[in-house]
Order: sequence, then C-alpha cells, then structure tokens
Amino acid sequence: MRVDEKLTLLLQITGPPPNVPPKHHTTTTSTPLPTPTPLPIFPTADEKGRPLYVSGSQAERMARAGRMSSPLRRGTHESWWSSEMGWFNAVAKTIPTYRVLDEEGHLVRGSQTPEISQDEALAMYRTMTLIPIVDNVLYQSQRQGRISFYMQCAGEEAAIVGSSAAMLAGDEMFGQYRESAALIHRGFTLDSLMAQCFGNVEDKGTKGRMMPVHYSAPELGFHTITSPLATQMPQAAGAAYALKLDEERQGDCVICYFGDGAASEGDFHAALGMNSVLGGPCIWFCRNNGFAISTPIIDQYAGDGIASRGPAYGLDTIRVDGNDALAVLSAVREARRRAVEGKKGVLVEAMTYRVGHHSTSDDSSMYRPIEEVKEWSVVDNPIHRFRAFLASKKWWSEEDEKKLLAKNKSDVMRAFGRAEKLPKPKLGEMFNDVWGVGKGEEVPGVIMEQRAELGRLLKKYGDVWEPWRRERKRFVEEGEDVMDCDGRGS
Amino acid sequence: MASRAASRLIPSASRSIRSLSTVSSTASKLVSRNALASTPVARVARSAPKFLVGQGQTRSASSDEGASTMTVREALNSALEEEMIRDETVFIIGEEVARYNGAYKVTKGLLDKFGEDRVIDTPITESGFTGMAVGAALAGLRPVCEFMTWNFAMQSIDQIVNSGGKTYYMSGGNVPCPVTFRGPNGAAAGVGAQHSQDFSAWYGSIPGLKVISPWSAADCRGLLKAAIRDPNPVCFLENELLYGVSFPITKEELSEDFTLPIGKAKVEKEGSDVTIVTHSKMVTHALEAAEILEKETGIKVEVINLRSIRPLDIDTIIKSVKKTNHLITAEQGFPAFGVGSEIIAQICESSAFDFLDAPPERVTGADVPTPYAESLEGMAFPDTNVLVKVIKRHLYRQ
Repeated sequence: MRVDEKLTLLLQITGPPPNVPPKHHTTTTSTPLPTPTPLPIFPTADEKGRPLYVSGSQAERMARAGRMSSPLRRGTHESWWSSEMGWFNAVAKTIPTYRVLDEEGHLVRGSQTPEISQDEALAMYRTMTLIPIVDNVLYQSQRQGRISFYMQCAGEEAAIVGSSAAMLAGDEMFGQYRESAALIHRGFTLDSLMAQCFGNVEDKGTKGRMMPVHYSAPELGFHTITSPLATQMPQAAGAAYALKLDEERQGDCVICYFGDGAASEGDFHAALGMNSVLGGPCIWFCRNNGFAISTPIIDQYAGDGIASRGPAYGLDTIRVDGNDALAVLSAVREARRRAVEGKKGVLVEAMTYRVGHHSTSDDSSMYRPIEEVKEWSVVDNPIHRFRAFLASKKWWSEEDEKKLLAKNKSDVMRAFGRAEKLPKPKLGEMFNDVWGVGKGEEVPGVIMEQRAELGRLLKKYGDVWEPWRRERKRFVEEGEDVMDCDGRGS
Repeated sequence: MASRAASRLIPSASRSIRSLSTVSSTASKLVSRNALASTPVARVARSAPKFLVGQGQTRSASSDEGASTMTVREALNSALEEEMIRDETVFIIGEEVARYNGAYKVTKGLLDKFGEDRVIDTPITESGFTGMAVGAALAGLRPVCEFMTWNFAMQSIDQIVNSGGKTYYMSGGNVPCPVTFRGPNGAAAGVGAQHSQDFSAWYGSIPGLKVISPWSAADCRGLLKAAIRDPNPVCFLENELLYGVSFPITKEELSEDFTLPIGKAKVEKEGSDVTIVTHSKMVTHALEAAEILEKETGIKVEVINLRSIRPLDIDTIIKSVKKTNHLITAEQGFPAFGVGSEIIAQICESSAFDFLDAPPERVTGADVPTPYAESLEGMAFPDTNVLVKVIKRHLYRQ
C-alpha cells in the first residue's frame, strides 16, 4: 500500500491510527529549551520504518483538498481527533544533516556517491578554487580604494558551486549577493565579472549603474541582484509560476538563494506561502552560514533552523552539509527533480560558515574570535574536503593543483588589470533605460532635458575646468555623446 | 509563451471547472465545497454585455448602434478582458480577484473566461503577490497586479519601487519589468485615515515608474490597455467613487484597438480665463465648477485632465497657462510635496512663468490624516463649491 493511500485511510477514521505505539516517548528539541517539551505521538514512519511523507505536488494538493471530509477539517493535511492535549514545538526530532563526505573528504558510512563524471567534478573544483582568488583580489582592491564595495563567498564555495552544478542551462537563478561562484560556474567570464565590479564599458549586464557584486546576466538566467534583503524571494515564486504556465518551459526550474538572516524577512514567508499555494518549480536554497552581518543565528531564530519552516508551508525539505560539495550536489539534484515533477517548491537548508567578512563594510573580528574562523577554515574546509574526494578517485594530483593555482592567479590578475584600464561606458548611458521606450514613442521629456543640461555644462566647462577635463577622459567618447543638443536655459 | 495558440484558453477554463466539480462530488454531504468556496455575492448578469468580448458573444460595440454610455468599472473590466484575449502572457493576480470577482468587481467574470491559471487568488500577502508579479514579469509574462486598495500596497512598496521601478535601469536595459499595478486610490467614503490616501505623488516621484490617474470610462479603457502593453511598470491609480459612474463613450473608444498615449493630458474643457489642472475624481468637480462659473459670472475655465502623473505632460499645461495667465491645481492628495506642488514648481521654472498674472494656487486635501466622521471627512477634501470659491477669489471676483 502506498504511503499516501495509507494516509487516505487514516483520514476516514477518528482517533489515532492503529499502528501508533501506545506509550509516550520523549525527545528533546533542537535548541535546548528551559523545559524540554515532549513530542506528541506522531506517526513519523510507517510499519516498514519508511518515513511518512505527505506528497505535495500541486495535483496532489488538489486531490487532498477533495478528500477532506468535513469543512471543520479544511486547512489541515490529515488530522485525527485526540482526547489528549498534546502540545508540541517540533514536528520531528532535530532535523538531521545530510552528508556524503566527512571532514577529511572520505565517504561517510552508508553514503552513496552521486553520479558525477570526472569532467563535472573537475569543473566544480576549478570554480571552487577560482573564486577565493577573485575574492581576494577584489577585496584587496576595495581596501585600496579601486572599487567601492565587495562581498566574498569564502567558506561557502561548496554550497554555492554544488547547488549551481545541479541546475541545468535553461534554469532561472535568483541570487542574494554572495553567489558569484554560482554565476561563474554557469559560464560568466572573469572579464564580465570584473567589468561589473569596475562598471567599465564592457559591463553589459548593468552598464556601470550598479554597485559591485550586483551582477545581472539574463543570458545565463541569472536575475539582477537587488540590495534590499529577500526581495528576490517573492520574485522567484513569480518566476516559478511563469515557468509553470509556460508550456515551452516545462522541465525548467528556478533556484533562489537566501541567507539565514533573510529568512527573518517577511518576504521569506510571503514567498514560501505563495509558492506552496500557487505552485511552480522552485528550489529555495538557504545558505545558513551562521551570521547575518554580525548577528549570529542564536539571535536570529529560536526554532530548529530554517529547515523546520519548510513543513509548515507543506514543502519537501532537506538539511544538508553545506561544506560538502557532493552532498549539496546530490540534494539539489533531487530537489530539482521533485520541484519539476511536482511543479512545486522544495526547501534546502545548507549548513555552512561564513569565513569571510560580511562585506567590505564589515570587520568580523569585532564580533567573533579569529580562532573560530581559523578552525572552520582548517577543520571543515569545503575545498579541502572536495579535493580529498577527487584525490581518492585518482582524478587529481599535487601537480594538477599547482598548475591550477598558478593558472587561476594569472587569469584573475590578467582580467583585473584589463578591467581596471578599460574606460567607463558612454556618459549618456546614465540617462538611458530609465523607462523602456516602445516603437514610435518619445523618450520622456524629463530625461531629454537632463541630458541636454549636462551637455550644455560639458560644452561650457568640459575643456576649461581642470577636474572635468580630467574626469571626461575616463568615459568612452569623453562625454561628446551628450553634447549633441543645447540644454534649456542655456 | 507568446507563440502559444489562443485556443489554449478553452481547455484551461474548462479544466478548472472540471476540477471544481470533481471536488464537490467527493466532498461531504453537509456542505459542498463549492458552496463554501463561492461567496454569497450574487452573480449579477452583465448590465452591458455588448462591451464584453468572450466565447459565444458578439461584439455589438462595433455595430451601427453608435455611441452609448459605460461605467468606469465596465471600462476597466472590458479593457482587462480584451488585453487578456489579445496577449496570452497577460494574467491577473491579487487578493479576491478570481472567485469573488474582485473586491470592487472590476475582474467580474474573468475567472470563468480565463481559468485559474490566469486569474489568480492569492494568500493575503501583499509583498508576496506583488513580488510574484514582478518576478513573473522578469521571467517574461505581463502581470496585472490588483491591490484591494493602494493603501495596502504600502506593505509591498519595496517590490514596486525598488525592484519593479529600477530593474530595467539596473540591468543595463536588458531586463524589462512590464507589470501593471492597479487598484483604487485616494479617498472613498467613510473609510478613515488608513484607507483614504492618494499615492500619486509617492509613485510619481520615482524615475522608472509610469503613473496613471484616469478619470472617465474612456480614460480607463484607453490607458489601462496602454498600461498593459507598455514595457514599463505602471501604477494605475483608480478611484473607488468613480467605479459606478457612467460616462458617454464613442464607438471608437469601444474598439479593441483603442489605446490612449501615456504621458499626454487632455483638455476636457477649453476656456480663456483660468487653467485648472487636475486628475481623477477632481476632474468631475472642476468641470462642475466651470459650468457654474460660466453660468453665474461668465468666467471661462480651462480644465486639464492630467491622465498621467508620470511622465507629466507639462507642455499642455504651459500652453494653457500662456493662454489664460492663471493656474490653479486641484487634487485630493495632501498638499505637502504633492502633484500640485510639482506642477507649480515646473511652471515657475518654465517659460510660462512670465505669463502668470497671479501666484499659482493649489487646492488639495486637508493636511491631516483623513477623519472618519462623515462631516469631518467632507471638510477634508475639496469639492465643486470649494473650487468655485477659490477660482472667484483667485480672479479677484469676490
């Protein structure tokens, strides 16, 4: 008998199901509470020991709604009457964390290696080792005042690259801001990345209009990073809904990244609520890295992490070791399968640690001991763990490592040097794309006026005032492009 | 998506009906699910079916019957329906838009015609469905996002302003965000401070958003259709008190190809003595005041219906002020940093300033949170009498 058929049967009776053990059993919950609350007697597994699972595709949701026997029970999955006043604050014992590799990179007992070819594995490893170098160079360049802002993803390489590797080319990706590695793994070139950070003429994605790290790559399905926290989440739910409606895009999926801090925003709950009710294939990928800027998770939430919120929204949920690239890869692959087949949301909580500072505006030594950071990067280093796996497969050697590091360094430095020397986009780009202009439409007057005013001032002072004469040279066409018309009041 | 055949409408609509009926047959004998699902609101037969297009209906609008009248509600409804037929990527999302036919019945009948995939009731989370609309637009659809009132859109203003309004610019012109946000705006009747605010100035101050504040049925039809076709996010600010008001409408305005250009004002009444610039419900008051003044004193008022708050058609206003030499703005919003303030500032900066014979004036709502008591509420907003008095004083006739 299938599990959901069994649940259907359970629905038709009043009183607890017959296979529930008769005795109370007490479990502790995830966080040590002052008075540990015992779990009520929920059947968490069927008689064969398989976990009970409320399947949740959109079609199944509708079917379940039809099975609900009376209006009084509308709104619950499958509930039964109980004379016992059973309070609870968790729906399972502490949620386990799925892993494939241990800290030293050996397969853990009982684990299954996900299907991964040598090429795939090496591609992941190349991105994982490239991104620390990119981060290092750009972080230092911010410190030297060469760019205005930067955010590193140190410590989270496995979570970001592993999840990105599980997605396909047609998928849509909504990042929070720490996912440059995912973008690189999708094929974003170092030149494009540097171009965005410097806002130079090659910055096709944002044309120098966005802060560094706010990448946009529609050709790779990567949506523009927005600074306000968690606003990408309802948008991801909307994109997933669009995929659900679009017959030509059946089989595609959305992945939405967010952090443990973002999960405290209302938009997190709005997004999961919308997605679970309206459907659409979406992977909600939480990078639980322990900190929201300086706020540690102990001050961020009291329940069992972010994963515990998944079942509340009826989402299939898993907690995974975010420093284990293989576990993340296989969990997100399975999440993707469930999301696409069920046209629904799936929640993945990747447990990791933010080794770097939050951003260049942050000094994390003010709120956490440096030893803690060192311990994480030595004892549980995602790159080392994955490298040990590669070595055990005989796919990687010391020699390869040396070559790769040297190549990465020279690639990054070459792209960096090139991007810094390139000029800024045309000055007139500042006024474009404020509004989209349809065929036969005029650019709104307010834009043309401002453009003409700048042109007038440039004509008047562009050659005679030293600061402007110097500044003009940094732009393609040196501002000539806006000097094509007279400003009002000139 | 766009290439999908229009015939898909039919299976999707019938599928939703089928699924509902299956559900009801297996449900309890006590209360059917359908009975619980549908609200007690009577399904009123359409009063003017000739404006609506759908399966099995003929468009008598293009027959020889000629001009007629239409309420603002019908105008909005027919505009939505025609755009949904015209473009498969258009869908409606919001609270109570489907089964309930919209809180103000603007989406009446659309669920039955287009099915649950395109007319979507959502959980009560403004930031959620606004974000979904923005996300769906970024992924290639053209959502129409209905707010029960614009007052509630403040819970999702970040999605409208920070994401909707800026993504096109921030993405280097690569990712457009064609959402139409719509709903009733401004004061209604007896709904207190938290339901009576005019957001024209709020959204009008954001580069990247287009803002429309229509008045007549023709405005609503032409501008809503234009808004849905526009590649930009558009805030479409309706007025609750106008929904039931009938306006004359011409054959041309009933055509399914009829649109009005966004960013162009309309001179509703020509005059030579004073220019009244106004929008939404205040257009009615301005026209009434103009009629009274013309009869009583012979003052000829020129009434400009702004139609669009952003882009603002300042050229039409400049032209009019140069003719009449007097400018009064009239709106229901608060005075501070409002639409009137902006217009007067722009006129003072323009070549029309030298033509002014008196300092321009604003007529606005009172600078207090809107009171609930009917008598106080009445005093908080300008009406025809106030306008008559102001115009007389402004022209030294009092």
